[in-house]
Amino acid sequence: MTPLREAIVLPLLFLTVVLLAGLRPAGGATFVPPGLFALVLAALLMAALVRSGALAPERLMAPSRGILANANGACVVIAAWAAAAQLLALVTPDSGLPLFFVSVFLFVLLLNTWVSRPDRVHALRSLMVILGACFVLKFVVLAALSDPAGGRTKRALMALFDAATLGGITQPAQPGTAGYLAFGAIVLFLAGVSGLPARRDDTTTLVVSR
Amino acid sequence: MSPGMRHSVVRGAGLLLTIAYASAIGWIYARQPTSAAQVSGGLASLIHAYHVDPQAFDDGVRFFHQDQFEPARAALARADPAQRDARTQFYIAYTFYRQGWGRVHTDAALYQQGLQAIDRAIASAPGGRVIVDDPQIQMHSGDELRAELARGITHPIHPLDLFGTRK
Repeated sequence: MTPLREAIVLPLLFLTVVLLAGLRPAGGATFVPPGLFALVLAALLMAALVRSGALAPERLMAPSRGILANANGACVVIAAWAAAAQLLALVTPDSGLPLFFVSVFLFVLLLNTWVSRPDRVHALRSLMVILGACFVLKFVVLAALSDPAGGRTKRALMALFDAATLGGITQPAQPGTAGYLAFGAIVLFLAGVSGLPARRDDTTTLVVSR
Repeated sequence: MSPGMRHSVVRGAGLLLTIAYASAIGWIYARQPTSAAQVSGGLASLIHAYHVDPQAFDDGVRFFHQDQFEPARAALARADPAQRDARTQFYIAYTFYRQGWGRVHTDAALYQQGLQAIDRAIASAPGGRVIVDDPQIQMHSGDELRAELARGITHPIHPLDLFGTRK
């Protein structure tokens, strides 16, 4: 990995994700830090990335590297973790039953990814599917259900649906920009994760050297 | 420049850039700015590069002395778009105080906005101490003005204070 990517591109990319994913444009722009559960999920995600080889921490921080290089590596790891936490908090619904089920879903899925130890490509695909699915659920499905500008039929259906679930489905209404910001943050995060230094495949090296 | 030296320069610059960017993001999360002016002003104040517009400030104070409170606030807001200057925020709070003052009744909504402005002034002042030397006002300190605004909010109706004067 080039020093430019490690020292500048990746930290700034992940920090931009932290900024974008924390922005809530509803009712005047506010920045919301991730909750404690999002920090736990982010730690699980980082562990899964390390286990799958998508992130090789020894290529970012090692005794053989200089102080400056290790500081750059630490910045990448911390920024990636912060971006993951902020992004997972972003794609989790805000309240009610969706919040509960998506939190459990993410926890189980990330734990499963960590335990099953997929290879780098599968781990990245899995991450893309997890984030994409949560994005669609929150910013497309739930946002459409919670849109106050719907017609009479939709409002009647929503009232029935809400009564059946004890009011646990409807989410706070979101402006259109929220979805675009979230989409941008997810794309940037996935680009950053795919640019992380991967574990070198020892078997391949061995075959080539023979 | 040798490749090793070039790498060190890139790494050093990257580290500084990362720390600066992370600090800016931390500041944004802590302060929750609501406008682009507040973001730029706040970041400029971090490196002591923020200044109020003196012409707009003078206009605002002149309007304030003429009891034209809304034009005064408009000019003062223009002078300090990031709401970072203690003296300007003090005058904005004072406009709310004078506009909301009444002999038997104070306008709690205006006083509430004044309280927010004086809190910003106190937060921006070094050590939280706001002192404004202006012979045309009677309250010169932020604490005094804050107490008066808070009293007006908790006791908006005060018929026994009929002979009180606006400060």
